[in-house]
Amino acid sequence: MDPKAAAFIAAGFCMGVGAIGPGIAIGNMVGKALESIARQPEAGGQINTAMFIGIAFAEAISLYALVVAFLLIFVA
Amino acid sequence: MEVLEHFYNKIIVPIKIGPVDISITNVTLSMFAGTAVFLAILIIFASKPKTVPGKKQVVIELFINFIRRGICHNMIGKEGDKWVPLIAGVFLFILANNMIGLVPGAYTPTLNPIVPLTMALVVFLTVHITNLAKNGFRGYLRTYAPRSVPKWMLVIVVPIEIISTIAKPFSLFIRLMANMLAGHTIIFVILGLITYFRNYLVAVAAVPFALVMMLLEMFVSVIQAYVFAILSALYIGEAINPRH
Repeated sequence: MDPKAAAFIAAGFCMGVGAIGPGIAIGNMVGKALESIARQPEAGGQINTAMFIGIAFAEAISLYALVVAFLLIFVA
Repeated sequence: MEVLEHFYNKIIVPIKIGPVDISITNVTLSMFAGTAVFLAILIIFASKPKTVPGKKQVVIELFINFIRRGICHNMIGKEGDKWVPLIAGVFLFILANNMIGLVPGAYTPTLNPIVPLTMALVVFLTVHITNLAKNGFRGYLRTYAPRSVPKWMLVIVVPIEIISTIAKPFSLFIRLMANMLAGHTIIFVILGLITYFRNYLVAVAAVPFALVMMLLEMFVSVIQAYVFAILSALYIGEAINPRH
């Protein structure tokens, strides 16, 4: 196989597989946060802050996959 | 057509001082424009502060209060007031640079790796100098070897702490850059479909979709500025109130 084509396929797989984990994580996190806000609306502000920090950390993992995908496309 | 063509630097006014190249490129021009717009808003809205705030002043006071209560007091604690200028500056600078990229024809300075990297390094140095000044050299070393950990565990804990210290500014930098890069590329790719298929019917679907993505991007710009500010505050708070 042409190495350029292999790099493109790898980049597609990298992004697709790399998005699975963070997707599950963010879904879980927002779901739990909504549950707890519904149970105790007064604590909404604090829960939001903690949720956004958690989302930022989970999301970073898929962004590493994105960077690797870009490297595969443009460098490999 | 090159997908990432609008991410390339173009020199507009070449300036060279010896070996140092400080030319004005489209990156710096967009950065000046974005910062100037936000500075103008701040100066016009809050130039004559009154005890009873008017309509314009309330907006600025809400923003400052959000930074002070929502971020600094939550993350840093009692000393939060001292750090409001830094956090507000970081927030506004990143927000201005994210937003100016949505103007057609402008460059997004935050998707050029060097801009978020510099911001992340500023936060990194601030955190470590604060930690050194606050806790002394022994206290600083204690961040890597907490007292609550058993002695024999230090073999594992110390490398992990050192790696996570290096990873913190790196992840700040990658998060901001990759978010901006991904969002702006998606808008460009959707609009690029029109020239790719050479068909006006595609535009009927592509333009509204690009508009929706643009709105999402505005939301993401604010969220990313918020996340960068709150994580900087979190790291500074960790340096000021050590866990051990």
